[in-house]
Amino acid sequence: MAPKSKEKPKTSSSSHPPPAIEDLFTTLDRHIQRSEYEQAVKVADQVLSIAPADEDAIRCKVVALVKDDKIDDALSVIQSFHKLPIDLGFQKAYCLYRQNKLDEALQCLRGRERDSETLLLEAQILYRLGKTDACVDVYRKLQNSDIETAEVNFVASLVSAGKASQVEKALDSWK
Amino acid sequence: FPPAFQSIPRNPIVLDLAYNCIDFPVLDERKKKVQRGFISRLWG
Repeated sequence: MAPKSKEKPKTSSSSHPPPAIEDLFTTLDRHIQRSEYEQAVKVADQVLSIAPADEDAIRCKVVALVKDDKIDDALSVIQSFHKLPIDLGFQKAYCLYRQNKLDEALQCLRGRERDSETLLLEAQILYRLGKTDACVDVYRKLQNSDIETAEVNFVASLVSAGKASQVEKALDSWK
Repeated sequence: FPPAFQSIPRNPIVLDLAYNCIDFPVLDERKKKVQRGFISRLWG
């Protein structure tokens, strides 16, 4: 597009009032829909400079960093907000899992409600730890949870647990 | 010589399904409202 005469002096920030939070969230959501995670982090930071404890902005920042594969950064953001009453335990456990800090990750999941996302992550951690029998048990609990392609991991855990002979029967009873 | 090829078992595929559980919050309520009257006429 050809540049129009309308100029937007982006550099002079002090002379302008900060944009309204709802405008920032509109921009933030657009970046998320377009998978522009780096931009999303920047806008989330803008929200946080106005409202330092905004839960949605914090969550968006953490998730955008994870989706952008910046696991270390995501984890340090989670740490920096640990005093706020915002539950980022699952995200923290996932980051620890990605850093291969498997025992810490399991520890982090302990005490959480055992919903399907928690069980999924727990099973993946157990698999990496080589605790394949325990892993199989967790996937059995997920059998009726309707999670797409979870049976792929279930089969992997059975094979790794030396229970390849059970795969066919297990797949029949899946769902 | 050379020795014949042999098949070896490979590690089974494991998907990172927990990754899909990491999701953004819904921001609809936080965004700029667009003409509430019009919207509610559509869905009201």
